[in-house]
Amino acid sequence: MRSIQILRYLPEESSQPFLQSFQVPVTDSTSVLDALNYIKESLDPTLSFRWSCRMAICGSCGVMVNGIPKLGCKDFLRNYPNELIIEPLAHLPVERDLVVNMDSFLRHLEAVKPYLIEGKHAADSSQPNRQTPAQMARYQQFANCINCGLCYAACPQFGLNPEFTGPAAIALAHRYNLDSRDSGKAQRMAPLNSKNGVWSCTFVGFCSEVCPKGVDPAAAVNQGKVESAKSMLIQLFRGRAIGGAGQ
Amino acid sequence: MSYKPQLTGSWWLKHRFFKAYMLREATVIPLAFLLCSLVAGAFSLQDPERFQHWQAFMSNPLVILVHTLALTASLYHAATFFVLFPRVMPIRVGNYQLPARYLVLAQWGAVWLIVALFIWLFAFGGQS
Ligand code: SF4
Ligand code: FES
Repeated sequence: MRSIQILRYLPEESSQPFLQSFQVPVTDSTSVLDALNYIKESLDPTLSFRWSCRMAICGSCGVMVNGIPKLGCKDFLRNYPNELIIEPLAHLPVERDLVVNMDSFLRHLEAVKPYLIEGKHAADSSQPNRQTPAQMARYQQFANCINCGLCYAACPQFGLNPEFTGPAAIALAHRYNLDSRDSGKAQRMAPLNSKNGVWSCTFVGFCSEVCPKGVDPAAAVNQGKVESAKSMLIQLFRGRAIGGAGQ
Repeated sequence: MSYKPQLTGSWWLKHRFFKAYMLREATVIPLAFLLCSLVAGAFSLQDPERFQHWQAFMSNPLVILVHTLALTASLYHAATFFVLFPRVMPIRVGNYQLPARYLVLAQWGAVWLIVALFIWLFAFGGQS
């Protein structure tokens, strides 16, 4: 048995969150999520938290473990021999206990149009839309994101400005921009070029550190800065050319 | 009804990763001082007396200390930058992705090349 602390929030009881201690049984393979499930089943059924796959695939079990964003199912109690405090994901509004409101995160994901946009690369719909392994390798790393939101909880820029598009959404935009079957880059560059786009990032880099899937969103954001600089330069010259023609 | 904890000004003290980030950003402070010293030096060139003053200023131990700090800081900044560079500009030759460590080594190689060039210019007057 060992003790873990959980930051609870029960709005009908108190307007303030409070820490509560629980005693849970541990073995070498007890995950943070196992401990939470034990508490809910055996000690306190009112404890609220999200989970589904318990194998680092669904991305729903993100929590702060001793202040660091982690997937509850991929983080083990054996890593924390001393104190262990579990809190809801940082930088998002907390609805109840460990359940955060992901709306702003989802809004940012939607804003970058994370789907194949057809255009000059339009596929003949009667044919398979082929891609070589090399073409796929260009974006595959960025396609591994499970939308867990850990990178948003790690990003101080998102913490300070929730309008910042943020690591996962920019990585997703980059993933589609790099896809040989896609023609939507011009549409995606508008939100990325904006003040809350790639330029809000100062390359703290903690997002990539905490990402459980090795997506390296910081690399995507900063590759996005190169793309953004290019697209803004192109716009500038086009603007000049048009202005020049009008004179 | 939800609550949202606000980020305080001390957010960066919470984790060593953030402290390292702040240190990287703070390297600009001694560098700015060095830059100001050099600009002052350039202006003092017009007048021999002012140039002497500037030379005295530059040999002040405190100034030397800050300038040494600027050198260390820029080396630290370079080290962090060189590691980040291959992630921002991955280099691909055909289907082959150049491993990041070669790019990091190449950047340090360039630094040593420039250092060697300056040693040759200043210590040997550009003669072998
Ligand atoms: S980039 Fe990584 S940390 Fe961010 S949402 Fe995707 S999987 Fe999670
Ligand atoms: S429960 Fe699905 S990622 Fe943890």
